[in-house]
Amino acid sequence: MAKKQEIKTADRLANSDVEVQSELPRTETSRMTPFGANEDKNVVNLKADYNKVDANTDKKYERGTVHTTTRSRMPEKQLFDFAEYHSQDAEKTGYSNYSYWKSVWANFTKKKVAVVMAIVFFALLIFTFIAPLISIYDANTVRLDHVNRETRFLSPNSHFWFGTDSLGCDYWCQVWSATRTSIILSVSVSIGQIIVGVIIGLLWGYVRKLDRFFTELYSFINNIPTIIYMTLIALMIGKSTLIMAVALIALYWLGTARNIRNLVFIYRDREYNLASRCLGTGLWRILAKNIFPYLISVIVLRLALSIPGVIAYESTLSYLGLLDITTPSLGILLRDARSNFLEYPYLMIFPAAIVSLITITFYLVGNAFSDACDPRNHV
Amino acid sequence: MSEINNNIASTSLEQMFEARAKQVLSSEPILSARDVEVQFTLRGQKLNAIRRCSLDLYDGETLAIVGESGSGKSVFTKTFVGMLDKNGTITGGSIMYDGKDLAQFKTEAQWRTIRGKKIAMVTQDPMTSLNPLKKIGTQIREAIELNQNIHGKAAKAEAIKLLELVGIQDAERRYSQYPHEFSGGMRQRVVIAIAVACNPQILICDEPTTALDVTIQAQILELIRKLQREKHMTIVYITHDLGVVANVADRVAVMYAGQIIEIGMANEIFFHPNHPYTWALLSAMPQLGVKGEKLPAIDGTPPNLFNAIQGDSFAPRNRKALNIDYIEEPPMFDVTPTHQAKTWMLDPRAPKVEQTIDVAKLSRKMNEAQPGSSDIKHPHLSPDREALVEVKNLQVTFGTGRKKFVAVDDVNFTIYKGETFSLVGESGSGKTTIGRALVRINPITNGEVYYRGEKINGKLTREQDENVIRKCQMIFQDPMASLNERAKVDYIVSEGLYNFHLYENEHDRQDKVKKALEEVGLLPEFSSRFPHEFSGGQRQRIGIARSLIMQPEFIVADEPISALDVSIRAQVLNLLNDLKKNRGLTYLFIAHDLSVVRFISDRIAVIHKGRIVELAEAEELFRHPLHPYTKALLSAVPNPNPYLEREKQLLVYDPSVHDYSVDKPVWCEIIPDHFVYGNGRELDAYRKEIEG
Repeated sequence: MAKKQEIKTADRLANSDVEVQSELPRTETSRMTPFGANEDKNVVNLKADYNKVDANTDKKYERGTVHTTTRSRMPEKQLFDFAEYHSQDAEKTGYSNYSYWKSVWANFTKKKVAVVMAIVFFALLIFTFIAPLISIYDANTVRLDHVNRETRFLSPNSHFWFGTDSLGCDYWCQVWSATRTSIILSVSVSIGQIIVGVIIGLLWGYVRKLDRFFTELYSFINNIPTIIYMTLIALMIGKSTLIMAVALIALYWLGTARNIRNLVFIYRDREYNLASRCLGTGLWRILAKNIFPYLISVIVLRLALSIPGVIAYESTLSYLGLLDITTPSLGILLRDARSNFLEYPYLMIFPAAIVSLITITFYLVGNAFSDACDPRNHV
Repeated sequence: MSEINNNIASTSLEQMFEARAKQVLSSEPILSARDVEVQFTLRGQKLNAIRRCSLDLYDGETLAIVGESGSGKSVFTKTFVGMLDKNGTITGGSIMYDGKDLAQFKTEAQWRTIRGKKIAMVTQDPMTSLNPLKKIGTQIREAIELNQNIHGKAAKAEAIKLLELVGIQDAERRYSQYPHEFSGGMRQRVVIAIAVACNPQILICDEPTTALDVTIQAQILELIRKLQREKHMTIVYITHDLGVVANVADRVAVMYAGQIIEIGMANEIFFHPNHPYTWALLSAMPQLGVKGEKLPAIDGTPPNLFNAIQGDSFAPRNRKALNIDYIEEPPMFDVTPTHQAKTWMLDPRAPKVEQTIDVAKLSRKMNEAQPGSSDIKHPHLSPDREALVEVKNLQVTFGTGRKKFVAVDDVNFTIYKGETFSLVGESGSGKTTIGRALVRINPITNGEVYYRGEKINGKLTREQDENVIRKCQMIFQDPMASLNERAKVDYIVSEGLYNFHLYENEHDRQDKVKKALEEVGLLPEFSSRFPHEFSGGQRQRIGIARSLIMQPEFIVADEPISALDVSIRAQVLNLLNDLKKNRGLTYLFIAHDLSVVRFISDRIAVIHKGRIVELAEAEELFRHPLHPYTKALLSAVPNPNPYLEREKQLLVYDPSVHDYSVDKPVWCEIIPDHFVYGNGRELDAYRKEIEG
C-alpha cells in the first residue's frame, strides 16, 4: 500500500510542470535539468531510492526513513513548506560504538591462517604438559644395561614412539619436555626483554636529558660481541636456565629500546603531548597514555618475533656448551642430534620440526596481530 | 569623498564583470565537464567524492572553485589532468577538451599529451612540490626540455627567462641554487614557473597561497594575474578563502559534498547569492561580522560521502530547509544566464525567503569602522582595570653557540582581565613561541612573566606551579594533532582532573566531563567515543572543553581557527566569545589573519621577526596604523567584497627603511594605549601622522 502511494507521489512530482524562472537560451541540458525534463529516469530513481530506504532498517537511515515515508505522502504544497530543523541532527557524527580491543579482535580473527596457527601453538603448549603423563618411560632414565644394549638408537616404534637417543633414553619424553622448557624460556625472556626495553626506550626517547646517557650505554654494550658476554657469564656465574634467562634479557632489551626510542621521536613533539604538558600531566602518565598506545602494534610484533629468535639463540649457545645440559631444551637436543644426524635422522627431525613450527607460528600470528593492533586498519 | 570614489570604482568594476559575462555567454567553452562522477575505494568502502558535477571553462577567464575540505573541489579538477590517486576512478560522465574525452583516457601516454602541455597544475605546498636534491634551474629545464623540445643552452636561457618572468631577482645566480635556499613564496614562484613553462592553455592552481603568509599571498596572486594577461591562460583557482576569491575570480563555483551547488559571476555570487549554503558561508565570515554579536554559524558538519545522500546534501544543516529537500535532489535553476544555483528555493512553488546576507552593505574598507565596535566596552579602558598577565623584556632563544636563534626579543605587554588580546604576525615571527612561553612549554631565556603580580617563570613551589597550570590554559592550532587519537574523549577531557585529582568520586568526574562537553555544544554521549569520529570543528571544541574543565582564567588560543573550514570557524569564534562573556575569561589570541582578529579582539599586537612593532586597540590599529609593517599587513588582508578587493593598493614592507645604526629604536606609548616600536625620528613622524 505504502509503495503504491510513493510511486504516485513520484509520478505527480515528475509530471508536475516546473517552470524555470527565465526563458533564457539553455546551452546545455544537464547543466539545468529541471525536475521532469528527464521523466523516466527520475521516476525510476525515486522508486529505487524508496525501496532501498524502506528495506534498510539500519540505524543510520532511521531519520531518513521517517522523512521519506511521511514526506512522500505529503501533498505537493506541503513539500515546499519549511521542514523542522534539528540542530542535534546537524551535530550527529557518522558512526560510533568503536572499541579498540574489539576492533583488534575482529581484525585478527579475519586472518584464518593466523588463528589456526595460534590454536595449533596453544595445543602444542598444552600437549607438552600432558605428553610426559601419557608416555611409558621417563625421560631421564638411562638404559645402558648389559642385558639390553639394543635400547640405544632405536628408531621410532610402538614402545619408544620417537625412538631412543645415544644413551638409550626415551626420545618422546625428551622432545616434549625440551619443547616445554624452550617455550617457557623463550616466552619469559621475550616478555622480560620487552618490558625492560619498552620502559627504557620510552624514557630514552621522551626525556631529552637521558638521550645521551642511554645512547652511550647502548653503544658500549652493543659493540662487544654477545658470545663473549655469554661465555663470561657461563664461566663466572654458572650455568642454569635461570641465569641464562636473565642474561638473555640483559642483552635483548637493547634492540627493543632503540627501536622504541626511534618511534617515540615521531610522537614526542605532537601537539597533543604539549596539550598534556599544559594540563600538568606527569611524565609517566604521558608515556603510558599518550605514547605507549601508539606503539602497541610494533611491540606486539617485536615480542612475537623475539620468541623464535630466543629459541634459535639458545641452540647456538648450547652448541657452544654454554648451557646447563641437565635440563633438556630444543637447543640441546639439536646439538646432540647433530653428531649422529646422518645415521639417525629422526633425532634431528623431531626437534627441528617443532622449532620450525614455533617460528612460523609466531611469525604469522605476530604479523597478523600487529596489523590488527594498528588503528589505521580499523574503520 | 571616499564614498564617491568607492562608487566610481564599483561602477567601473561592475561594467567589467558585465563585459566578462557577455564574453562567457557568447563564446564556446574550451573545456566542458558533464556529470562527472568519481569514486574512491577506501578499505572496501565506496566514497562518492564527486557526484554528477558539471562545469564549463571559457577561454581566458579566471574561475574560482570554493568549498570546504572534502567537498571534492581538488579531486574534481584533478580529473582534468588525470592525477587522481590510485584508489580513485572516474565512474561516469565526460570531460570534453580539444575534441577528446579526457574521462576515457586510460594510458599515461595519452595523459602526457595534455598534462603540462595543455593543462598545468600548481599545487598547494611549495615546500614539498620541489625536489630538494635538484637545482632549481634543472627542475625548470626538465619541464622545458620534456615539453618544448628545446635543449642545452637554449633551454637554460629559456629557464632563466621564466625565472625573471615570475619575479625572481638575480635569476642567473638563482638558477643554480637548491630549493632550500629559497623562501616559501619564492618556491611557489618557481613552481608556477615550471607550470607555465610550456604555455598551457589552462592553469589549475590548487590552493596556491594557503601555505603562505598574507603579504606573500597577495604578491603571488598578483603574479598569477600578470602571467594570465601575458600568456592568455584560463585559470582555475581552488580555494577555501573567500577573500582570495574576491580578489581574483571572474566567475565563482561553490562546491558542497561533491557537487557544484552554485555558479556565477563573482559579483553575482557575492552580492546576490541564491543557495542557502552560499548565504551561510558568506554570513559566517568574521570579516562581515558585527562586533559583539554572534556570527551566524552553520551547525554541524558536511555529510559523510560514504553514505548515500538523499535530496539536498545541505538540508540537515539548513535552518530553512524545505520538506522536498529531504526527498529529491534539486536541479540547477537559472538565476541569470550566467548564474545557476542548485536549490529548491528557486522553484516557483517555494516560499520566498529574504536574502540573509548583504556583502555590499557589510563589507567595508579596512580603515573604516567596524559596525558595532563603538558600543563595545573595552576592559583595558575601564578605570579599575586589572593586569592579569604582564610580560617584561621577554626573550626566547633556541639552540646555542653559532646556531643560536633569537625567536622572541625584548617583548613587553600587559593583558588586562577580561579582554581578548591578539598577537598577529607571519609564520616564523615568534607569536606561537610567546604563547607557549606564557604557559611554560617553551623555556624563557630572559625576562619575566607575571600572573596577577606573581612571577611565574623560573623556579616555583609545587603549589604555585599547580595554581598556574590550573589558571592558564592553552587551545591548540590543529585539532587533528592536538587530541590523543588513542584515548577516549572522556579521558581527554578529564586529563586535567586526574592530574590534580579535582573530583570527589567517579560520578563527580563524569558529571564534570558532561558539563564541559555541554558547555562547548557537544552531546554528552560523545564522551565514550574516540577523536577520529569527529570533524575538525567538533575536535576543536573537545580541545576547548579539555582546558575549560580546569576552570581557567586565562587562555592562550594559538590559531584556534586557522586549521578549520570556513563554515566551522564561526562556531568556534562564537563559542570563544560566549565563554568570555559567561566565564569572564581572558584570551591571548594568536593569529596570522588580521581580518579574523578584528572581529574578536579588544587589542591587537603586531609582531615581526620576534619583536612587537605595534600595539593598539583593535579599531585604532585598523584606522591609524603607524608602523610600515602594520600598514603592509593591513593592505594585504583579503576583503570578501570583489569591488573593494580589486581596488586595494598593496604595500610592501621593506625593513631597510629603518636606519637604526645611530638612533636606537625604543618601545614607546605614542598616544595613550597605542604603542609603537621605532627610533626618535620615526616616532616624531608617527606623532605628526596621528595629529595630522
